[in-house]
Amino acid sequence: MAAPPTASSSKDEQRIPHLSRLEQDEEPGPDVSVLKEIGRKALIDSLNSVNGAKTLVLDNSIAGPLGLVTDVSLLKYHGVDKMFWLESGPLTSTTTNVVYLCRPLIRNIKIPLRADQIKRHAKESQKHIYTLILIPRVSTLVNRILEEEGVLGEINISSYNLQFIPLAEDVVSLENDNAFKEIWVDGDETSIYDSAQALVTLQKLFGPFPRVLGKGNFALRLSQLLDKESALLPTSNDPSIAFDKFDSLIILDRRIDMITPLLTQLTYEGLVDELVGIKNSYVELPQSVLAPQTGPGAQPTAGLSTSTAPGSAAGLINRDKKKKHNLSASADPLFEELRDLNFSAVGKKLNKVAHRLDEDYKRRHQAETVAQLKDFVGKLGGLQNEHQSLGLHTRLSEMLVPLTRTTEFNRSLEIQQNLLASYDVANQITSIEDMIAQGADMQVIVRLLCLASITSGGIKTKILERIKRDFLQTYGYNLIPLLLSLAAPPLCILQPNPLHSPTPYEFAASKYPFASLRKSLRLLIDDIDNVDDLENDISYVYSGYAPISIRLVQCVAQKGGVLSNPALNRANIPTEGERADGAADTRNESVKVQAHPVVGWKGFEDVLASIPGETVDFVPKGLVPANMVNPGSIVRSTYPERVLFWWADPGILASSREQTKTTTIFFLGGCTYTEIAAIRWVAKQNRGRRFLIATTGIISGRSVVERIAGVSPGSGRDASI
Amino acid sequence: MVDHPTASWDAMQDGKVFYRRQQVYNVSNKLPRLDDFIVAGCKYGGPLALMRDTSKMVVIARGTAPVLSRSQIQLYSPAGESLLILSWDQGKVIKFGWTSDERLVLLNEEGVYRVYDLQGDYQQYTLGGEATELGVIDAHIYDNGLVAMIGNLTLLEVKGWEGGKPLALANPGLHEPPSSWTIIPPDFTISRHVEVLLSVDSTIYVVDNLENIDQRISRGPFTHLAASPNGKSLALLSYTGLLWVVSTDFQRSLAEFNTKEVLGVGGPIRQVQWCANDAVIVSWDGLVLLVGPFGDTLQYFYSGSTIVVTELDGVRVIGPDVCDFIQKVPASTLSIFRPGSTSPSATLYDAWENFSKRSPKADESIRSIRPDLATAVDECIDAAGQEWEPKWQRRLLNAAKFGRSFLDLYNPSDFVSMGQALKVLNAVRAWDIGIPITYSQYNYTSSLHLVNRLTSRNLHLLALRISTYLSLKPDAVLKHWACVKIARSKPSTAGTGRDVELQGDDEVCRSIVEKFSRLGGGSVSYADIAKKAWEVGRLDLATKLLDHEQHASDQVPLLLNMKEDRLALIKAVDSGYTDLVYHVLLHLHKRLPLGNFFRLLEDGGERLAPATRLLQVYAREQNREMLRDFYYSDDRRVESATLLLEEAANMTDQNAKITAIKAAQKFFSEDKDRAFEAKMVDENARLLVLQQQLEKDAEGRINFFGLSVNETIRTCLINGMSKKADNAKDAFKVPDKRFWYIKLYALTSIRDFEGLDAFARSRRSPIGYEVFVRHLIERGHLKEAATFVPRCDSHKRVDLYVDCGDWRAAGKECKERGDKAKMEQLRKNCPNSLVARELDQLAAGMK
Repeated sequence: MAAPPTASSSKDEQRIPHLSRLEQDEEPGPDVSVLKEIGRKALIDSLNSVNGAKTLVLDNSIAGPLGLVTDVSLLKYHGVDKMFWLESGPLTSTTTNVVYLCRPLIRNIKIPLRADQIKRHAKESQKHIYTLILIPRVSTLVNRILEEEGVLGEINISSYNLQFIPLAEDVVSLENDNAFKEIWVDGDETSIYDSAQALVTLQKLFGPFPRVLGKGNFALRLSQLLDKESALLPTSNDPSIAFDKFDSLIILDRRIDMITPLLTQLTYEGLVDELVGIKNSYVELPQSVLAPQTGPGAQPTAGLSTSTAPGSAAGLINRDKKKKHNLSASADPLFEELRDLNFSAVGKKLNKVAHRLDEDYKRRHQAETVAQLKDFVGKLGGLQNEHQSLGLHTRLSEMLVPLTRTTEFNRSLEIQQNLLASYDVANQITSIEDMIAQGADMQVIVRLLCLASITSGGIKTKILERIKRDFLQTYGYNLIPLLLSLAAPPLCILQPNPLHSPTPYEFAASKYPFASLRKSLRLLIDDIDNVDDLENDISYVYSGYAPISIRLVQCVAQKGGVLSNPALNRANIPTEGERADGAADTRNESVKVQAHPVVGWKGFEDVLASIPGETVDFVPKGLVPANMVNPGSIVRSTYPERVLFWWADPGILASSREQTKTTTIFFLGGCTYTEIAAIRWVAKQNRGRRFLIATTGIISGRSVVERIAGVSPGSGRDASI
Repeated sequence: MVDHPTASWDAMQDGKVFYRRQQVYNVSNKLPRLDDFIVAGCKYGGPLALMRDTSKMVVIARGTAPVLSRSQIQLYSPAGESLLILSWDQGKVIKFGWTSDERLVLLNEEGVYRVYDLQGDYQQYTLGGEATELGVIDAHIYDNGLVAMIGNLTLLEVKGWEGGKPLALANPGLHEPPSSWTIIPPDFTISRHVEVLLSVDSTIYVVDNLENIDQRISRGPFTHLAASPNGKSLALLSYTGLLWVVSTDFQRSLAEFNTKEVLGVGGPIRQVQWCANDAVIVSWDGLVLLVGPFGDTLQYFYSGSTIVVTELDGVRVIGPDVCDFIQKVPASTLSIFRPGSTSPSATLYDAWENFSKRSPKADESIRSIRPDLATAVDECIDAAGQEWEPKWQRRLLNAAKFGRSFLDLYNPSDFVSMGQALKVLNAVRAWDIGIPITYSQYNYTSSLHLVNRLTSRNLHLLALRISTYLSLKPDAVLKHWACVKIARSKPSTAGTGRDVELQGDDEVCRSIVEKFSRLGGGSVSYADIAKKAWEVGRLDLATKLLDHEQHASDQVPLLLNMKEDRLALIKAVDSGYTDLVYHVLLHLHKRLPLGNFFRLLEDGGERLAPATRLLQVYAREQNREMLRDFYYSDDRRVESATLLLEEAANMTDQNAKITAIKAAQKFFSEDKDRAFEAKMVDENARLLVLQQQLEKDAEGRINFFGLSVNETIRTCLINGMSKKADNAKDAFKVPDKRFWYIKLYALTSIRDFEGLDAFARSRRSPIGYEVFVRHLIERGHLKEAATFVPRCDSHKRVDLYVDCGDWRAAGKECKERGDKAKMEQLRKNCPNSLVARELDQLAAGMK
């Protein structure tokens, strides 16, 4: 009897203890690892819908995200015989079933068509059964193209709804690297729709968002979609589900703060991303950094793509013996301590850990009785793991240090800091010109130019044209479209001053009020004495500059933190929030302050209004009591009495004070590792509020520029001399 | 007085197991003679479909007229009421059967199949070309699909009833049709894919979409094959009359029984079916034989031929006079009513009877089962569900209620829901409704399923009442009602004017909307209703209804069909669902002349801007010709130029590339705000021409084409074409600073240190000399680097020397400048004693 390899019960049972352990953890916040399980299960279901052994053809860009939810052995277990990259060239499949797994992009679909993989097979009368699994859903476009090519009838099309993938216990991502470019350059709003769908899923799992706040035109668009979709959510009365995890959703679209990604990230994880590049939580490192003396050793799970080395992996020969390493806090507790530190503090921390570890090892000398020795041996495994990760991070830091010593790096840092302070702008622009002459990395130049344009309200037309000319001569005229994209609405981050006449409305409105924001949001911390002090504010992530995006989050979730340094205040006088919270907290400094409830943008309306883009603040349809607000009207830019009244209800305030709520922050267009670090810092300051960071993907200035330029990411200096 | 439940029981296996036959309906004189018909019965107490058995017609009327192609299919409820008559005008019907949602599927020999609902509306699909060509020989239809055997004796599978593409199963390699075959639906196989069992010669082939396995049986061939409802066992009847029950993996033989030994029967065996999962039914004309797991039998006699329909908890037998339900007596019922039972539930029931007779024994009985009272109550509730007669249901529930009052804590929800369920079941079992569904079937199929079945019979009121009673959403019922209402309501009965028609539309629309809002059908899809209206040709009504629709994805396709193009596009854009926008765009692009299509987008302004952008995204990848036209028609010069540049970037032919770039330059130059870009593109074209020339000069040994200005200069320098490099510098007005860097890097990379020195001396460096030193150090040319130190600022020289590794020079420099502190520092940092001694000497020479 045909018994193809399907999910047997034994495998499922193995996984259950793992799940239940997670559930047992006293984790009051939303447990995002559920998302991983859902993703994994959906994938298996899609694969099992095709009977028997199959050849899997995988879109290169999807391999990374998939590697986060599954691994090769699981795929093999579910009947995947061989794996190939989705690329042109003939496909030799030994199995009857050929399964294509990719995003529904035209170019993805065209690859097998161009290569005539399907038609050729038909001609050679090989009986293959083709299945196209599209992520996250089927698409009219794909059908149309297959129809035009005349193969629609030969392919079964299904979908695999891969949504948020947990990257850390408080970060979920759609892992769509192209979202920023699609929205702000191409004008393709698909990822906004995808985001709305994924946020609906979050609500289904963890409860509705009682309030939605946001800033930016596309944030408004997303919130409207979300409102529409959420209204259709089943209102669950099932008490068995903990159904009120969230207290609000803050949607920030990337356009409202373009400065942050342009800057060089200075946290450990951020710097690794800047200098080495982190892709889907995996970082590619030389073998010597990963494991110096011995062989591969006990490396944590290898990525999907490395260990598979798919069949036709001609281009996948291990260059420079690089290996992928998964940077994840769950597998590497030391990394959890390090990732959000300013890089200048990493050395000190490593040193401390090394000392502690050394002492732990020395305990074995103290072990006298057999029981003590046994105890020590029991700990040995943990110590060795820690030892290993200490070694890794020390070597990785050593690798980074010379990279941070280069002239180019320091020059660009200096220009950044001066531009942020609006100090001698003309001179900074000259410095940028010099850097072009020296042939600095193209993306560094673009970032600096855009930064100069945003912070100073545009670069003088004549100078800008001179720089652009230098730029094009140095890096190639093929970058003209890049410069046009950066200047065109809705992005407008590289602008001449004054603007071209006649000025379209959109241009004028998009002028960024940086100088006034610097003051009102306390972006620059001037008196930096040492790093320890610095870490009293989110600005530590950029060594003295606070990301606007996170200041806006603070406007909602930690109002005191925007105006003054909460850590300093705690030592001196209690803020208003603390006073209201009762004397008990102020007496004992170590007790964290209870987070204040979400009351919208209150207190910062003027600041918000000054930033271009719509302001969003409303209570979703389904959650407004019918007698209070006319459902369906989205309240934005204004703060009607009724909404405030609804939240000023003492009963509601009291109840929300008692339990820990989670505030979800959604970055439409991606966020940086520094922003994640800053949010974690905010979360640490108060009790009673957690943050869940959701994003379309992790970005850095480099990836943004390279995506818009259409340069293959990570190609680095190839473009310059 | 209704009979005691046990009256219908028959014992088997030495009285351990009981089967009961309950008469559900009396159908005498309602049904035609069943032996003249081919019959398909629907599961879960569904209707019967009867079609004249034409093969028998031929036998009777031999040699007269050819077989009629036109035939009728009659549908009867299990109570014998005629539901519908379908007339079939297509080719010969091969097979018909029922879907899980009570729709009738008819498959003809040409591979065309229709799915009829109980109103006689149908969808028609086909099995594809191969089936049409070769003809369909036979088929099996199950809940969610069918398997057809076509002329070349291969098998095709169709999943679902949405007209899915037929999938070829593995070729069993047959030479003649199997003597019988059956299928196991995917829900009940290990692989979750359909399996087909074919009786070939003496063995059985098991076929799925991957392989064909010969089970190597030698007892065949078999005339009947039947898989049990749970797909675990198989009943096989061989030519010799041997009934053999085996597990579907053919590993365990479960029972054997020789049907020839049954006395008093004649004629062929009509059917072999399952009674639930544990007994097999074999039917002859007039006799239904139930074969238990150990070969024990029970005989049920009928006055004529019967039709047997397997249910998941028993079997329905429809004879000439009666519709019976035969099942194994459920455990709870058995426990209460089995003669002599002393189980807690039986005692509880007994106690309640005593209580109602006001006998004190009641108390005593209750006391005796005190520890088991809760289970006894549960059992009574369950048994109530198993009874057909309301009287016995009531008695059992009363017993449960009585027992419950002795319990301190008892969750009454089972009791309540059973009461509700029974009320519903009794209502639908009434002969005029005619759905003899059992409690287990009802649980299995859900109450919603039942409501839908009632709705499809046009029993809207009952369906609505049941929905309300069970707090189900009335949406589906209301939707069906509205569709029927639209179909039935004529546009106008009085008068023919357009006004009257409009009024009629208004009326219908208002009544529908009103009813929905009154009954809380909040999430009814107006689009579906509007579609119905559109289908019956009432465009205005459809538009009106569509206005009430909330979901764009439902609205838009209909709007497109109704040719409301602009509205469809706006709705699609507003929905934010880009795929929907594409759907509209692609549709319109196909249907409209290109000019009109563009105009529609251009006139849309800001509202349709997202759609326009999506079109560009699509066209850039798939249809550049169209995109060019679009930009041209909309005077988008910058975009046109960018498009050309993008294309040029991918071109390999040099001249074509230059042409494309020149064309782009023209577009830019037409926009006065793009003077800069025009200039740059012009430069680009010039550069390419220059590069072509350079390549010619180098006789094709060096690649220049496509490099940037910097790279061009650099390549010249590396290849010793420094003159050309200078020319290029002048031609493109490369600033001195940049040129110096390029040259520095280039000369260093080819280790032309003499050239570098000459270059450095050629004039005063615009970039200073420190960069020379630094760059050379970076490249590891320490010695050469040191030669440039003397030209640097004096205060930096010491450090630069140190960086070059020339400690002595550094020391000398210190000495010259008389910087003692620096000397001291050098001394401290120096790498070895040799250097230290030299430094000491130098220091000693200082004052």
